Order: sequence, then structure tokens, then C-alpha cells
Amino acid sequence: MSKKNETKDPVIEKIEQLTPADLEKILQVFKEKIDHRYAAYFNSCVHCGLCADSCHYYLTHEDLQSMPAYKLNLMMSVFKGVAASPAHKTGKNTGEKEKISFYRRFLSGIKEKYSRWVGAEKLDKEMVKEWVDSLFGRCSMCGRCSINCSIGLNIPYLIRAARGALTAVGIVPPGLQSTVDTAMEKGNNMGIAKEDWVETAEWIEEELQDDIENPAAKLPLDKKGAKYFYTINPREAMFFPLSISAVGKIFFAAGEDWTFSSDNYDVTNYGLYNGDDYAAGTMSDRLVQSMQKLGCNTLVLAECGHGFNSNRWEAPEWLSKEYGFDVKSILEIVAGFIREGRIKLDPSKNTEPVTLHDPCNLVRMGGIIEEQRFILKHAVSDFTEMTPNRQKNFCCGGGGGQLSMTRFSRRRLKAGKIKADQIQKTAAKIVATPCHNCIDQLMELNKHYQLGVRIKTVCEIAADALVL
Amino acid sequence: MPFVEFNGKKLEVNEEGFLADPAEWNKEVAEFFAKKEEGIENLSEDHWAVINYIREFYLEKETAPMVRKIVKTTGFKLKYIYELFPSGPAKGAAKIAGLPKPDGCV
Repeated sequence: MSKKNETKDPVIEKIEQLTPADLEKILQVFKEKIDHRYAAYFNSCVHCGLCADSCHYYLTHEDLQSMPAYKLNLMMSVFKGVAASPAHKTGKNTGEKEKISFYRRFLSGIKEKYSRWVGAEKLDKEMVKEWVDSLFGRCSMCGRCSINCSIGLNIPYLIRAARGALTAVGIVPPGLQSTVDTAMEKGNNMGIAKEDWVETAEWIEEELQDDIENPAAKLPLDKKGAKYFYTINPREAMFFPLSISAVGKIFFAAGEDWTFSSDNYDVTNYGLYNGDDYAAGTMSDRLVQSMQKLGCNTLVLAECGHGFNSNRWEAPEWLSKEYGFDVKSILEIVAGFIREGRIKLDPSKNTEPVTLHDPCNLVRMGGIIEEQRFILKHAVSDFTEMTPNRQKNFCCGGGGGQLSMTRFSRRRLKAGKIKADQIQKTAAKIVATPCHNCIDQLMELNKHYQLGVRIKTVCEIAADALVL
Repeated sequence: MPFVEFNGKKLEVNEEGFLADPAEWNKEVAEFFAKKEEGIENLSEDHWAVINYIREFYLEKETAPMVRKIVKTTGFKLKYIYELFPSGPAKGAAKIAGLPKPDGCV
């Protein structure tokens, strides 16, 4: 066996092999994703620098490449080159021709050779390397730069568009792409076979019945016409099933009519992170199919930040269709049970100090802000907020597909230092967070920064406080 | 990819400390990873029951077993598995058993 000291980086190798046609394709796909609103964004950055201090990458690394405005500029310079290039004078989609006309007016008359005067850059292999390093490797698409931007530029959208353009020619860090591929090929992002999920669900049901000493507690599979269809993150079934039994326990206590599906149940969508709209739409559409198959009333999304953002907000856009049913977070459902008096929680059952981490995709991007606090205030006796919190909260560092991109894992841990410090300041022993992606990053931060905490979902904590 | 020093020899691992080449795994490597990654000084019989099962499953199916299968085969309670491997079955037990990092939110 040969020693692998000389192993080449597969992404760099792929970039070296890009043909002029591939580079052209990146530009074409990128351009198609940038309509007049986003083209205007590109020309709106006033270089005020407020984004720098809002970004956990910049604050922990303090290098130029981590600054959101720098990342924006990388994309903007290429876009200016595209807009000024005669090869791109007409939009390919006839229905949307002149979609960047506003911007083109700005650039009209500028010949390609003068385009550098307005900061235009050519997309060559070196630029592709920079895109990969900054746009995949220094951004968790958390959106904190956007809410601190003096003119409100939607930077995560633009980053996703650029990632999608790279993905179109196969330039994606391997772990991120394989998570998308596994989901596309096997129906869920961990490749769990149907019979294994069904067996696991039956086992969780037995464990729950033993735990609460009540054989009436059920985890109904494929129950047609149930009010709620509850999705899961495959990671729960694979490695961490206690969060599933917690939700089962709460539904049982409330006497609710709900069901799981034996297939098409995956709440995750890494198409949000590699920017592939087709893959993203395909994954979200599976949940729509399950809703139709089961005839349920409401699609209930598990504690998963990006899964919520994808399926609640983005998917109808990806699929170009209106959903004929409600889409809710499990937190909205559980908070509703408490408000309506359908479940009773005893906070004295959870006496250890608890703090809450706000997942960016659920809170800042998703708008689910108070429900988790409402639940925790009923479920624990000692609750402390981190500072800052809610929409202003810092990303844990695990979003944007970072957990799957092993090559950037050191940066990810370093960028998580802000979160680690926030947790430490609360002196909490338990960190609650309604997102499995965040849980995994927080578990790593816990180990790396020796925080001495335990990480739990909100429903796990609520289930422990249930009075049955 | 980075290397870690082990018994005077270099072991290639990925940036998250997963063994690069699963064929390089042996019991000493497992003990080394257990100490380095999970802070476990001595692997008990129960640790080995889990590690050996995961290893055998992986060699046959090229994937990690679901926690259900680990519980069923070893007869341990689920909560005990997390006590044995605080980082959980994927980043704890499977890593010690020399498996590559799984796809998904892990």
C-alpha cells in the first residue's frame, strides 16, 4: 500500500480540472440565481464594516477573508464581470429576459476590457478556490451579518447562490455533497433502510411504554387522517432516539392524534447548504408526498433549524407551489398544549440551571422565537438567557453545512469560541437547543472548551417535566 | 490530512480525528483513540462489546449500525451506551472502532 503523504486535495484537484465550459457554466448558473433585487444588493454595500463585528468567523479569526463584506465582494466582482461581458447580454430564460437590466444599465457602455475599473473580476480557477475557501469554508449562513448590515443586504442568499453555482459543476466539499447524495439516493440523509426505521420506531415505543408504565402510549406509524404528521431528523433514529420518545411522550400526554411515516420522513435538507435547488426541492417534496399519502392536516417539523427554514419558508419557492396545509414547528405545538392546559409540566422536576441556544435558521431566519422560552419557563426552575439572544444570538458555528465539511472543522471549532464563552457566562449545566445540528456542534464545543454541560432538545426537557 | 503519533508510528486521521484508513485499525489503536478522543483510560469489557459489534457490523455492511442494533446485540440499556461513550455512538464508539465519519447532522 502506498503511503498517502502526497494525497491531493480532491476539491483542489477538481478545480484544476475545470474546463472553460465549466467556468462558463458557473457564471451562467450564478447569473440565473441573481435577479434584479439581488443584483441591486451587489451594488449597495457601502463598506461600513458593521458586518465584520457581527460575524463569529471574523471575531474569532480576525482575517480579511472572514469578513462578510469581503465575501460579498468576491461574488460582486465576478458578477460585475458577468454583467459587463457581451456573452451575457441576453438572459437565457425568455420569460425572464432582462432580469438584470437595472444593473446592466449601470454598466452599459463599459467594455469588457474596462470592466476592472468598476471592480469586475474574471472567474478563473484561483477565484474558484477563493470562493470555496470563503463561501463554503468561512460562513455558516447564519444571517447575523444581514441583521447588522446598515442596508440589510441578504448575504446568506447570495452565498447560497454562489455555492449553488459551484455545485452545478461538482465543486462542493465532499462531506456536504455526500450528505445530499445519500438523501437523494436513499430517501434520508443517513441512508437508513425502511425496515430499520420501522424496527427502531417499534423499539422506542416499547421503551416509552416501559418508562411510563403505560402500554397505551403509542408511536403510530402511517396512521391515515391523523391531525399531525411528525417528521424526524434521521440522526435521531440512528443514534439519538431519546428525542423521539420525548415527543411521543408529550403527544401521548396531550391525547393528540398524530403519526410518523415509515418513509419520506426526513426533516433535514442539505440542499439548503450546497445551494442545489433541484435537490432541495426534491427532498422537501417528499414531505409533501407523505402529507398527501397520509392525508394529515399539519406538517410538524422536528427540532431542526435548517429543516424548519427549508420546509416552512424556502420549499414552496423551490417547488413553485403553495402548500395546501399548515407547516409548524413542534415547539409551536407543545407550547399550544401548555397554553390550552392539555399537558401539565412540573418545573421542580428539572432543577439544574438551564440556558437556551437559539438556532439561527429557526429563530433569526425562521421566526420561532418565544415558543421555546415559554416551554422552558414551564419546564425548568432555573432558566438563564445567554447574551445576546433571540434574533441577535450568535451562531454555534455548526450551521451552513459546516458539520459535514470536515476540512473546515478547525475553523468551525474556533468560530464556536463565542458560543462557548456565552454558555460559560450563564453557569448553566444544561444547554437546551431545538436543533440537532446545533446539538452536535455544542457537544463538540463542550468537549473542546471543557464546558462541563449537557446538551438537550427542548422536548426532552419538557418530557422530563411532564406530570402524567 | 493530519497525522497522529502512535507507538512511534504515524497514523493518518481526518481533521476531526477519524481514522483515514479503516484497515489500519487494531485494538491498540482503539485504546489510543479511546484515551485521546473520549478520555477513557481503560476500555472495559462493556466498552469492547460495543466496539467489537460496531466494527464487525462495519466490516460487513460498510456503515455504522443503528443504536437500536447495538442495544439489541449487547443487551445494554440505551442510557448506558451514552454513559460508556459520552460523545455518543457516532463520534464516540464508532470513532474508536475506526469507522469513517458518517453523513448527516453529525
